[in-house]
Amino acid sequence: MPQERDIVKEELATHVRDITRALGGKLSEQEIEKELSSYLNVYRVSLDTAKRSIVKKHGGNPANLAIGIGKTVRELMPGEQSVNLLVRIVSLNEKDVSVEGGSKHILYGILGDPTATVPFTAWEPLNGPITRGDVLRVQNAYTKEYRGQVQVNFGVRTIVTKEKPDALPEVKPTPGMGQPYVGKPTAFDVVDLREGASNVALTARILSVETREVEVEGTPKSVFSGVLADGTGKSQFSAWKDFSLKEDEVVRIEGAYVKTWRGIPQLSFDERATVTRLASDGLPPASKLGESPRMWVEDLAERGGGVDVTVRGILIDMREGSGLVYRCPECKRVLRKGACRIHGEVKGNADLRVKAVVDDGSGALTAVFNRELTEALLEKTIDACIAQAKEAMSTDVVRDELADILVAQPIEARGNVTSDEYGLMMIVQEAKILKVDVQEEAREMLEGLEGSA
Amino acid sequence: MIREVAWRLFSGEYNDATLELAGGGDRAPSYVVTPLGAKVNRVFVVGVVTDVENVGSEMQPMWRARVADPTGTFHLYAGQYQPEASAVLSKLKPPMFGAITGKSRTYTPDSGTVYTSIRPERIKEVDGALRDYWILEACRSLKKRLEAMAEAQRMDPPTKDALMKLGVREPLADGIVQAVAHYGKADLARYTAMLAEALRYLLPEFREDRSPEAAAAQVEPAPAPEREPEPDDGKETAVLEVITSLDKDGKGAPWDAILTASKAKGIAKEDLEEAINRLLDKGLVYEPVLGRMKRI
Repeated sequence: MPQERDIVKEELATHVRDITRALGGKLSEQEIEKELSSYLNVYRVSLDTAKRSIVKKHGGNPANLAIGIGKTVRELMPGEQSVNLLVRIVSLNEKDVSVEGGSKHILYGILGDPTATVPFTAWEPLNGPITRGDVLRVQNAYTKEYRGQVQVNFGVRTIVTKEKPDALPEVKPTPGMGQPYVGKPTAFDVVDLREGASNVALTARILSVETREVEVEGTPKSVFSGVLADGTGKSQFSAWKDFSLKEDEVVRIEGAYVKTWRGIPQLSFDERATVTRLASDGLPPASKLGESPRMWVEDLAERGGGVDVTVRGILIDMREGSGLVYRCPECKRVLRKGACRIHGEVKGNADLRVKAVVDDGSGALTAVFNRELTEALLEKTIDACIAQAKEAMSTDVVRDELADILVAQPIEARGNVTSDEYGLMMIVQEAKILKVDVQEEAREMLEGLEGSA
Repeated sequence: MIREVAWRLFSGEYNDATLELAGGGDRAPSYVVTPLGAKVNRVFVVGVVTDVENVGSEMQPMWRARVADPTGTFHLYAGQYQPEASAVLSKLKPPMFGAITGKSRTYTPDSGTVYTSIRPERIKEVDGALRDYWILEACRSLKKRLEAMAEAQRMDPPTKDALMKLGVREPLADGIVQAVAHYGKADLARYTAMLAEALRYLLPEFREDRSPEAAAAQVEPAPAPEREPEPDDGKETAVLEVITSLDKDGKGAPWDAILTASKAKGIAKEDLEEAINRLLDKGLVYEPVLGRMKRI
């Protein structure tokens, strides 16, 4: 553990005092110093382990230790009990999670310092608001391992204080300039990709790839992006180096990392990654992999979304703002009472859409159907709807007709699913009302029951 | 707040529930937990709306509707705080197929018995095809819980983590652990029979067999705490026939005539009342107006 070797004597003294205090003065500082030195230099355990062991050995409670071990993000290992960090908030989200006996509001996101970034979760309310870009001094955080990656947790003992922004140099993570990975990459299937995973290994077929020119810190850079797939699902990818990826080839990518876009995990890789070409028959053909996988809403919720997925459920409700709407010509926001939230009273452009709740029994998502899809479902053009609304002197007739046709119907919808704190949202690309052979499936299920009885 | 899923589950399972988890905190949702571990905050039901009645007053109406599925009856209540649902309920013309989304509720009178009900959010008239599709969905859902509960019964004690390792998602895994703690060992055979009966309901090859006796033999309703389940003695069929034959004008058979005709068949008044109660529970008859019975 190289990070422990350079602990200067002065810093060690504060830990000696910390142990002394935790033991309530049971042992002298000299004795503790000797013992600590033996743990560190003879047994070569980590400082954290050493401190806790000494306190435990002498009948104290390690929870009374107040001073964590200062580390850089890069030095973090899974299973640290008490660690101090000076970090900047790279990204910040919040959500409610269900825990024993109710729900809990937590913050999560990514922390970074000049050495690396790491996902974090704050399980307890902090004593003040924090936002992205804040520099935090974190004391007594702990770490865990999740899917091969270190995660930082703030618990009841953790103290978080805000520092001045210049306490930590601002580091803009440059794609392709990350730290090299240590150790063997972890193998993933596409469906299992999650935000924050790094040093990922994956075998997939490239379904599409295109070159885009982007600007990174003022310099133009080419990014090669597209869609890849294995038997479990599809993912968008971005390669920050030219691996000469070609459509339809099967590749093994090692040393990639996962970022998310509006909740959807995406694969990114750069100089640190290696790409190996494999035999094309190692995976099903593109025509098969290109199919939109059928997914349960609960699985989408767990992943945070998905690319080109198909959901089957019942359209159990239509949300406010469905039907014939008028949009601001400036910003395309839907007008309320003839006025745009930003641009005031304007003459709006007519549009037709449905925002619906689709529930498949495992979970619910909001599905947004655009004008073309809505026209197809209504079997009516937007002009016919405008005429109808004019005659009735209200747009409600269009909404009511849509509700008549759609509510309580089983539907199949295909599209990209994104997520935020309000849940999942599908931008529907294709939709149809489902006709299911109820008898066939019932017969099959019944035979299964009788077979097992 | 993430929207709660709408459970598809049979009244036979829902009405067996006696456990309610109150949400901690201000706006945390509450759940009715069934013996198979469904943690229900919202339901989606498609069934036969058999009757609607104002059980409140003229000034403060409280609408009650009964909705039958192949395993029993859901009870819906909508009052002044559900204006939209109340407006729809008050205009329904039973019998009809209705699709209902609503919130799970329980009511516990002094006796300690727990009654489950639904507070409707949306009600829509639908057709029989959709009802059949719903039954299939409810079957799928029930099967999933039966399998997960069977796994749980092989564990001692069942834990959330162990269930999740087997692929059971967190909400159900949690519900199962809570259900086992509250109800003890669930009667899987009973719910498997319920599942089989609901599946047969969808299949024409079993339809001849769907006399009420056969139905009663397949799915014995859960024994109510205060009274023993009576074995069916064919009286239900006889009473059903009487009701059908006496319903000349389509408005239902008048009670007096049913009583007379049943007496002629050797069915005493008490037996008749019990048979009609059971027929009502099964959703085979309903009361269009007070004092008249009609077959569904």
